[in-house]
Amino acid sequence: MTPAHVGSPDGPEPILSVRHLSVHAPNRRILDDVSLDFYDREVAAIIGPSGCGKTTLVRSLNRMTEVAPGIRIEGSVRYRGEEIYDPRVNPVLVRQRIGMVFQRPVPFPLSIYENVAFGLRLQGVEEEEVDRTVRRSLEQAGLWKELDGDVERSGLTLSGGQQQRLCIARALAVKPRVLLLDEPAASLDPTATQRIEELIFDLRKEYAVIIVTHNMQQAARIANRTAFLYQGRLIEYSDTHQLFENPREKLTESYVTGRFG
Amino acid sequence: MRWGLPLALLVVLFPLFDMIYWIAVRALPTFTWATLTTDQVGLGGGLYAMIVGSFTLLGLATGFAAAVGIAAGMYTAEYAPPSIARWARVAGNLLAGIPAIVLGYFGYYALVLYTHWGYTTLAGGLTLGVFMVPFVYRTADLAFANVPSEQREAALAMGARPGQYLVRVALPIALPAILSGVFLAMAIGLGETAPLIYTAGWSSTPVAGLFQPTSFLTGAIWNFYDYPSTEGSFQALAFQAAFLLLILVIGLNVVVQVVAERYRRRTRGMMA
Repeated sequence: MTPAHVGSPDGPEPILSVRHLSVHAPNRRILDDVSLDFYDREVAAIIGPSGCGKTTLVRSLNRMTEVAPGIRIEGSVRYRGEEIYDPRVNPVLVRQRIGMVFQRPVPFPLSIYENVAFGLRLQGVEEEEVDRTVRRSLEQAGLWKELDGDVERSGLTLSGGQQQRLCIARALAVKPRVLLLDEPAASLDPTATQRIEELIFDLRKEYAVIIVTHNMQQAARIANRTAFLYQGRLIEYSDTHQLFENPREKLTESYVTGRFG
Repeated sequence: MRWGLPLALLVVLFPLFDMIYWIAVRALPTFTWATLTTDQVGLGGGLYAMIVGSFTLLGLATGFAAAVGIAAGMYTAEYAPPSIARWARVAGNLLAGIPAIVLGYFGYYALVLYTHWGYTTLAGGLTLGVFMVPFVYRTADLAFANVPSEQREAALAMGARPGQYLVRVALPIALPAILSGVFLAMAIGLGETAPLIYTAGWSSTPVAGLFQPTSFLTGAIWNFYDYPSTEGSFQALAFQAAFLLLILVIGLNVVVQVVAERYRRRTRGMMA
């Protein structure tokens, strides 16, 4: 495990760099001056009590926050040095590079194949390439074998855990560099959760994975770094082991030892 | 209470069965294949011209109502600012409540007199279409608004533009509900008389063109019912038209039920 080098000058270049990010809803502040870096081929977990702004933080990383009306965003998010909130940047392109999977699985009412092909079709990718990519993405998500290649039936016929892996395959198909996972196992049973965790562990060989979770054991199992958010503020962000074993902040310690939640 | 409630139900349902019986006994004795296939001749003949006319008018009206209603519903549910959407929904409900005869007079003024078309199939079809629009509009708006918001978010997160989301995700989900709205509007439109009597005119031969007048099934009842029964078979023709309309409207309502059931089955896995 590498030591934490949050914003340290001698570490590798971050893939995503968040600076002074604040998000305001019409009558309250959801995120308050958050700054942190995310790195390629690592899993970063974001933990914190309900309503602390975890989901808003990840949604701000691929410009999904602004889909809701009345939201105001300040600060900067750079993807490989490029400001994603620059008015000249097309949010559609941001979302293609920074993929997202939601808390509840959301397959489209299409076949399994067409679900995975969805993003490729939007980009007008050629049929042969679509075919290869769909298969590879389903293999990556561990679904191809499990389904025996039967990908023509509706994505809605799958179990919850399979649906969530289908959504991960769909996000992987457009070849993102970063994958945002918003409590991807929250609605799944322990077996399905374990499969998702194994998958995330594999994914970090190729992607930067940022996962929101309310489950501290899950963060401890899969994340290289962990960020603790409380009331919209980043309290602590460090190496996962350090954050859980030897937190710098009193608040972090109280939270990870279960004194509030 | 014990007998009151079932009795109320009986009062509700009795006229339906009585009416079916009343029409059937007057229509069926003289109802033959020729009734459907021959033109109106003098004071008798068949319903052929009226059947063709009714379906031509219904086709024009459905095309107009579906195109306008679905597009407006899509706009209301997906694009319109909330204040406009709220106002548009109220207006849509108002339009659905306008008496058909008032709309018929509006059609007469706007499409018969103002355009100098005279009584035409097109004027009738468009007026009937305006009458049917709110039924399509309301179901289309509701169908798009009922698409789970997660579907929209997931599509946008995949890099879909709003228009791509609408066509590739929202429309397939909403389509069965929209179709049931279209069929419902057709069932209501097929039985309407008032939007047509001032606009479509009348013709004893099948419709010859969009700018020619046409006869229609409900018009047969409107025009022929009070003829003294001694003169030809006009009265029988009115009952035959009524019987045929009943069958068609019931058939369309069955289609609505079937489509709605399919919709429920299709979206079941999505709301989980």
